[in-house]
Amino acid sequence: MSHKKRRVSSDFYTSSILPYAAIIIKICRAYTNSQEDFEDYYQEVCLQIWKSKDNFKGQSEWSTWVYRLSLNVSMTLLKKKKNKHQHFASDYLPVEVVEEPQAFTDESLAQLYTAIRQLSEVDRGVILLYLEEKSYQEIADIIGSNPNNIGVRIKRIKERLKKLLDGKVN
Amino acid sequence: MEKSIESIWKEGFLKSDVLIAPKVNDIYNKRSEHIVDKFTRMFKINLVAIVVGSFFVVGMSYAVNIPYMGIGMFIIVNVLVVINKRLMKGLSKIDKNVNSFQYLKTFDNWMKEQTSVNEKFSRFLYPLIFLSMVSGFWFGGFGGDVPGDIMVNELLLSYPDLVLVFGIPLYIWLTGILITVLLAFFGGKIYRWDLNIVYGRVLRKLDEIIADMEELKS
Repeated sequence: MSHKKRRVSSDFYTSSILPYAAIIIKICRAYTNSQEDFEDYYQEVCLQIWKSKDNFKGQSEWSTWVYRLSLNVSMTLLKKKKNKHQHFASDYLPVEVVEEPQAFTDESLAQLYTAIRQLSEVDRGVILLYLEEKSYQEIADIIGSNPNNIGVRIKRIKERLKKLLDGKVN
Repeated sequence: MEKSIESIWKEGFLKSDVLIAPKVNDIYNKRSEHIVDKFTRMFKINLVAIVVGSFFVVGMSYAVNIPYMGIGMFIIVNVLVVINKRLMKGLSKIDKNVNSFQYLKTFDNWMKEQTSVNEKFSRFLYPLIFLSMVSGFWFGGFGGDVPGDIMVNELLLSYPDLVLVFGIPLYIWLTGILITVLLAFFGGKIYRWDLNIVYGRVLRKLDEIIADMEELKS
């Protein structure tokens, strides 16, 4: 990559990605189980945002666009494991998940993330958007669903999360 | 009092330093692990390898004086390259900037189309490669003696009662037809089996996600 192109991409990261890093971090954490995978996912999402930036037509907020792209990329990112087969990093969640200590200093948040990681890929996306205070309509637009069903699904996810947090469900 | 998940979320991020972005190094030169990019890369590598391989086979077949085999295989595999180049265009059109359902569905449809096309083509690919090889060894080089005819003449000396069809012993016809039919039958299955070994787990997972989204949509 030329020096000029490298500088342009670095500028893009600083101006257009870094201010929205929180969104990417929150999503990537929900789809990965280790610091290493998280960092890989974070970098991949940044790369895909940069590669797709010309497709942003301003029909939605930039932040909504970042949510959508981060979710789409996280749901379909492949990792090569020791047996050489392709997998999703989120497949490797042992029941007794141990979050790496540097990830969360807040224990409740760490437990909530552990519970979220035990949901299906779609449910993780739905609950993350809900917790980020997106409306049902916005969640439906990002996921590609019916807003009426989102409310029902959120209720179900919250019940499951509560059970997981209370230790009633593995 | 027990805290709600909403307050855990809000307060947890206020307290912790979890939102500090990891250090990124030269990310734009990083090899993407994204499923679409991986397929694009895999397609490109395969197509280049096939084209290079087809030229190598032609060269070798001339060198060992079985050019019909090389020419036949060159034509067959390059038809495969043209078909897959067209399929690859579809892959580059997949937009990650649409809703998750649409995005996954587009990829899934592409995947189904490419699997179906390659599976069908594999039913012809393996038999045609076999027939090219047989023709190569049978007809030998351009002009001169035909090795196949020499072999038949020698066989006739030992077995004068051999039944010939168009100058070729019936049992060779039957064996050739049997192998061709078997390769046609298993060709598609070999392709699926190969795809399944590498991407089976991922494709099943994608089906699961799409099914979940369809349920949420209906």
